[in-house]
Amino acid sequence: MSYLELSNVKKSFGTTIAVDDFNLSIAQGEFVSFLGPSGCGKTTTLRMVAGFELPTSGQISLQDKNLTYLPPNKRNVGMVFQSYALFPNMTVADNIGYGLKVTGKPKKETNARIKEMLGLIHMEEQHNKFPSQLSGGQQQRVALARALAIRPQVLLLDEPLSALDAKIRLELRLEIRRIQQQLGITTIYVTHDQEEALSLSDRIVVMSKGKMEQVGTPAQIYTSPETEFVANFVGQINLLPVKVVSPTQGKVKVGEQILQAGKFGHLNGNPIRLAVRPEELNHGFIEGANNLSGKVEAISYLGSIVRIRLDVEGNPISMDVFNERKLTIPSVGDDYQVTFPVEACWII
Amino acid sequence: MKTKRINFWAFFWVVLAFLYFFLPMYGTLDFSLRMKKGVLSLLAYQKVLADPQFLASFRYSAIMGVITVIFSILLFVPTVYWIHLKMRQLRPLVEIITILPFIIPVIVYVFGLIRTFSGPPFQLTLTPFKTDILMVAGYIVLAMPYMFRAIDVGMQTIDVRTLTEAAQSLGANWAQILFNVIFPNLRTAILSGALISFALVIGELILGDFLARPALGPYMVEVGRDMAYQPAALAIMSYALTWICLGLITLFSRSNNNQRQILGR
Amino acid sequence: MPSNNSQPIPVKQFQPKSQFTNWIGILPFFVFIFVFLIFPSLNLFSGAFKDQQGNFTLANMKFLSNPYVLKSYATSLQVSIITSLVGGIFGFFVAYAIVMGNTPRWMRSILTTFSGLAANFGGVPLAFAFIATLGRTGFITAILKNICYANAAGVQVCPFNPYDNGFNLYSLTGLVLTYIYFQFPLMILTITPALEGLKKEWREASENLGASSFQYWTRVALPILLPSILGSTMLLFGSAFGAFATAQALTGGSIDLVTILIGQQIRGDVLNNPNEGYALALGMVVVMAFMIVGYTILQKRTTRWLKL
Repeated sequence: MSYLELSNVKKSFGTTIAVDDFNLSIAQGEFVSFLGPSGCGKTTTLRMVAGFELPTSGQISLQDKNLTYLPPNKRNVGMVFQSYALFPNMTVADNIGYGLKVTGKPKKETNARIKEMLGLIHMEEQHNKFPSQLSGGQQQRVALARALAIRPQVLLLDEPLSALDAKIRLELRLEIRRIQQQLGITTIYVTHDQEEALSLSDRIVVMSKGKMEQVGTPAQIYTSPETEFVANFVGQINLLPVKVVSPTQGKVKVGEQILQAGKFGHLNGNPIRLAVRPEELNHGFIEGANNLSGKVEAISYLGSIVRIRLDVEGNPISMDVFNERKLTIPSVGDDYQVTFPVEACWII
Repeated sequence: MKTKRINFWAFFWVVLAFLYFFLPMYGTLDFSLRMKKGVLSLLAYQKVLADPQFLASFRYSAIMGVITVIFSILLFVPTVYWIHLKMRQLRPLVEIITILPFIIPVIVYVFGLIRTFSGPPFQLTLTPFKTDILMVAGYIVLAMPYMFRAIDVGMQTIDVRTLTEAAQSLGANWAQILFNVIFPNLRTAILSGALISFALVIGELILGDFLARPALGPYMVEVGRDMAYQPAALAIMSYALTWICLGLITLFSRSNNNQRQILGR
Repeated sequence: MPSNNSQPIPVKQFQPKSQFTNWIGILPFFVFIFVFLIFPSLNLFSGAFKDQQGNFTLANMKFLSNPYVLKSYATSLQVSIITSLVGGIFGFFVAYAIVMGNTPRWMRSILTTFSGLAANFGGVPLAFAFIATLGRTGFITAILKNICYANAAGVQVCPFNPYDNGFNLYSLTGLVLTYIYFQFPLMILTITPALEGLKKEWREASENLGASSFQYWTRVALPILLPSILGSTMLLFGSAFGAFATAQALTGGSIDLVTILIGQQIRGDVLNNPNEGYALALGMVVVMAFMIVGYTILQKRTTRWLKL
């Protein structure tokens, strides 16, 4: 069931193509993230949904109503900006009530809605304050309430957390998810932070250079990236250059060490690489799994995780292990055996 | 990036502003070239430049301008320096004082100046030299808002304290600090303040007029009363002079173009 | 920078022995300001309350209610208010067009540069420029004069000759036109930074919430700009109210502005009681003071959200 539909959307600024061939249908109540590096077209796409940019071609429809060329103030989609964009001359309550006031809603309804929204973001006490008196996190909560106050059909969030401190960011992330689920509102969330996208979304659209790279659930995106870009952009990954040994069986080799790919297409093109996430690697040797031996090159503590970098036949490979008490950490220069399951690796 | 159409109203206002700027300028230029009937000529300019009175009054005003600039620098640079270094709590007060010449109309101020110093016990208007002292003092006050602000902004961009400490640790006394360290580092700021002050003195009418000194302002009024084409030529020359002063400021302050200055009138 | 970092610098010979030594550094400035600014001003204002023998009197204040004087104040106020409003509004629109109207870049840079020039271009030469342009034989006057045609009766009519249609440069209208030449560039210079401070996101957020462009302006943009607009208008008012040279050179003193009257008083050719002249001058400062107080009150109200 498609609620919000973007079909063949294209946007170019002069000769630069910002977004191309964008097709996506979003179900009601779904939380979709657009994930990608800056300049990948994710914000432009969002702004086309909001109406701040007009697509060069293609169509955007909401509940089968064509939105494509509707002015932004007739769309009823709520937007939250990276820079909060609260009106500095209005109190928190006035900011939240703005959308209702300008569309001529009765005062009683407006006030009730303001109260409801203040409750939703737990800021009843601050209703009379001006934005300049609030912290960044509070300001962004108000901005969220302001966008939600008009009961939008879609909520758009444009990197809402990137201007905030790490700790507040985490806190507000949870709050956004809570509010989204509480209201069941269809949401598009633009971010360059994979952790945000993975933790919040029902589905993620990974974008690069104006194109959709992959659409899928967080698990799909993480465990089976379809392109090298996605594999690299989301999470850490080892990409091991390999030579094909048996195209039909998916057997490859690095140096003289034979490996079995879990997933492989037609193995004719060279060069090909075997992808495996660092956390899939373990110390040891398991019969029937993939095994590699190499030399320890570097060890870095990342708090809960220790990352061991190995040199395997001249290629760097990282392995992440939990920093448990029982962990024995090798020394640099040691010979080291690692193993990983066949299902955990694939050919890119 | 964006290829939006030019907003019609924006275009309308901009064109109107262009006309308001350039029509009088063009009109004046055109008028100034028509002294000789039927042909365009520089006759009006030649007449102005050949007028010994013009040369004398221009020289007088230019000298006054230079003296004013020198004394302004000597008075304000150490003051602003000291305030930045030791008396930051005085800055708001000094700031208010320095904008007083904007609040008190120039003619009122000059009125007070004349009435105070023309009589006993000062009697500064008895000889031309004494009157010139009063003129310079008046010019310094009138130029103060610009001079002070220019130096103040300049001082904010350099680290006065560190520079002072560095100079001291190398054994400089404080006259040396001022002249060898602070002044050179404030070059740009002082220069823009100086140019704007100079332009102000050159164009100033009230002081010269009421203290009956042969400045350029009163001369121009006189020419305006008696002649037809020379005033237009004088106006074009003033445009050019203001233009040069502002141009030099932009040139010297390169990146620092938020320092827009406004002359009084 | 906060003001509390004024600890003495840690080098011995520079260490002030007391707060008093600190004052010596700025003494020349305060002496100069006192002698050449504060003292003459106070002298003038106290003179307004003295008779010619130096005794206290309020009689000079009565002089201010003289219809002739009152009319000069009215004229000055009229010119200042009209030129600062017209020039201010015009300048605002131009600045807006420069900042947000997608006008070509070269136009913008020329306009800002010329604003600097025109705002600085006042006094006598400005009057000359307008005389050469709109005076009886001025450039534009000549063009308009020559737009003529023969009417039905065969008589030549020149409907656009400004001087046949009640226009006169050497009048109040002419003065207003001339003052606007420096007023609107002054507005452009002072309001542009404020306009540049308007965030694009505010407009977008407003639109996004269903507001029209008009609602955005009345509820968001103008309230945010109001403090700057007030400040600029104040500056414009002051610059017109205190202007003397342009009016003197343009009209030869035939329009009775307060500044012109004070000028005549200094020359001593109208009033014979100098103390009445002081009252006249004091009146101007009182008007400015009123404007500043009013401005401060409005400023406080409109920037409630800024100060917190």
